[in-house]
Amino acid sequence: MSATAAAREERPGRGFGSERVREALVGYLFIAGPMILYGILFFYPIAYALYISRYDWGVLGKIDTRGFGNYRELFHDERFGIAIKNGLKFTLAFTIFSMALGLFVAAVINNAIRFRGFFRSAYYFPSIASSAAITAVALFIFSADGLFNQITGLDRAWFGESGTALWTLVGLNSWTTSGTVMLFYLAYLQAIPTDVYEAAAIDGAGAWRTFSKITFPLLKPGHFFVSTLLVIGGLKMFDQAFIASGGTGGPNNATLVPVLYLYRVAFYDVRFGYAAAVGIALLLLMLGLTLLQRLTFGRRDTN
Amino acid sequence: MADSDVPTQDTGAAAEATLVPPAPVTLEAAPSGGTVAVGIPGRTGFERTRTIVVYTFLFAIALLYFVPFFWMLSTSFKTLPETAHFDLLPKHPTLQAYRDAFSTFHFARYAANSVGLAVTVTCLNVFLCSLAGYAFARLRFPGREVLFILVLLTLMIPDQLRLVPIFVMFTNWHLLGHYHGYVLIKLASAAQLFLMRQYFLTIPRDLEEAAKLDGAGYFKTFWKVMLPLAGPAIAAIAILEFEGTWNDFFWPLIIFNTAPDHYTLPVGIFSFVSEYQTLWPQLMASSVIAIAPMVLLYVFFQRYFVAGVASAGVKG
Repeated sequence: MSATAAAREERPGRGFGSERVREALVGYLFIAGPMILYGILFFYPIAYALYISRYDWGVLGKIDTRGFGNYRELFHDERFGIAIKNGLKFTLAFTIFSMALGLFVAAVINNAIRFRGFFRSAYYFPSIASSAAITAVALFIFSADGLFNQITGLDRAWFGESGTALWTLVGLNSWTTSGTVMLFYLAYLQAIPTDVYEAAAIDGAGAWRTFSKITFPLLKPGHFFVSTLLVIGGLKMFDQAFIASGGTGGPNNATLVPVLYLYRVAFYDVRFGYAAAVGIALLLLMLGLTLLQRLTFGRRDTN
Repeated sequence: MADSDVPTQDTGAAAEATLVPPAPVTLEAAPSGGTVAVGIPGRTGFERTRTIVVYTFLFAIALLYFVPFFWMLSTSFKTLPETAHFDLLPKHPTLQAYRDAFSTFHFARYAANSVGLAVTVTCLNVFLCSLAGYAFARLRFPGREVLFILVLLTLMIPDQLRLVPIFVMFTNWHLLGHYHGYVLIKLASAAQLFLMRQYFLTIPRDLEEAAKLDGAGYFKTFWKVMLPLAGPAIAAIAILEFEGTWNDFFWPLIIFNTAPDHYTLPVGIFSFVSEYQTLWPQLMASSVIAIAPMVLLYVFFQRYFVAGVASAGVKG
């Protein structure tokens, strides 16, 4: 102990000892790899996206200057409108369902004493599986002659009809995401002090009343955190829609979500300039929605 | 999987205490005593009914969550005509679907690509992020705070915005269709760096200073003293990175689009779906191949998965 104390005193506190310079140089050296990568693969691409978005840009590069033409086109682009509408529909339903499912499961698990670890593992399990594999399984189970129709007695090609395709994706993603939501809610549930519940029990409050009047309101920070994550995640959804529709966003544009549209503009229409503009518009939409969430939750705070 | 309520892995719980920035309490470390209205006397009859209801619910949901995986596994051992009969288990279990998937449909190649890329990315990422995380946590250099804010900023930039510029850049630099192009993309991920920095901040300085007193240089101090102390954090970020790379669909699809022999398992599954959609046993077999390694990791290193989830909050 005294040795380390001595070491602390020996270290030059201020001034430019050569040790200080050496430490700084070593520090820069240690962070150099990641920082260079972030520069090339995060910050430069943003600037480059803004640059590309001002041009008509094909496989071989610039074709023509468009100024803000790409951005103006967004407002008249019918398919972009459809993609945004699908994205918002999906995100809203997905956020509500995953939160409801995740919270329900977390609340029930929190009441269980035995096998709690087992249940938590079981519910989180779908979250670790590859999105491609899970979508393949869903394609099988929800096909016209699949297990789901067999069990329910219904007769639909769930991914093949424009009325059901997007909602089947909502179900699929809510299921796989609910495990993650559950983990977050469990953490927030365990932060609620037990004496609150004891007081409620003494007052004779039932399970539902306790949950709706005490637990649910006390989980507000959890609701905010989880819903922010889910809204951004919902708007970014791509894998499942892409695989289920074979990359088309069909049937009849029913699963054409924003990122899938961006992908199609870039790689099917080969219009990189316009695709860059779509990407920037999506970023602004995400930032806007996050801000909106913050404002609504913030306002309730002051009441 | 752990059946007991009270976890016995002390190191894991300690790791999570520091690896879970957004959540208010740790997941593993919480004792089961925090449950609702358990100890209140005079309500045993009600409690018993309630317990039965709760467990029935829990088992029913667990079963429901498991059904798709069971159906996938069961179908993968069937023949195509047999899939029309909806038998719970295959009547004559066969490995034919796996043989087809591995040889005829190239899934052996895809699996090798997935393993190679996930291992490479994980090793490099763990090294780079722990080294940089150590520097941000311990070494003093001008501009450290500003640079760290830049690191955090990268977590807020969605991949979709980077898609077009990176595709154009990689075309110009001839990185498309190459393994190292993909590795570069995956190495630029800041969540792991952030987690390592947070963990290093919790390690007491005494040990480091003792090492310095012994004349060890900065790298040696990091390598011989700090890294061994960060075991749980390294396990968590390694699992997180491996899972992220193994399951990644977006970037392999873009980088390897024109190079089918570079496909990873998820992209292989997509290409199989588009070409032979209704060869269900083979498709289910390839899904099992894509999911099974994650299941094994999950069974053995479950607590690190839980710790890694918290960083989803960081990833935003």
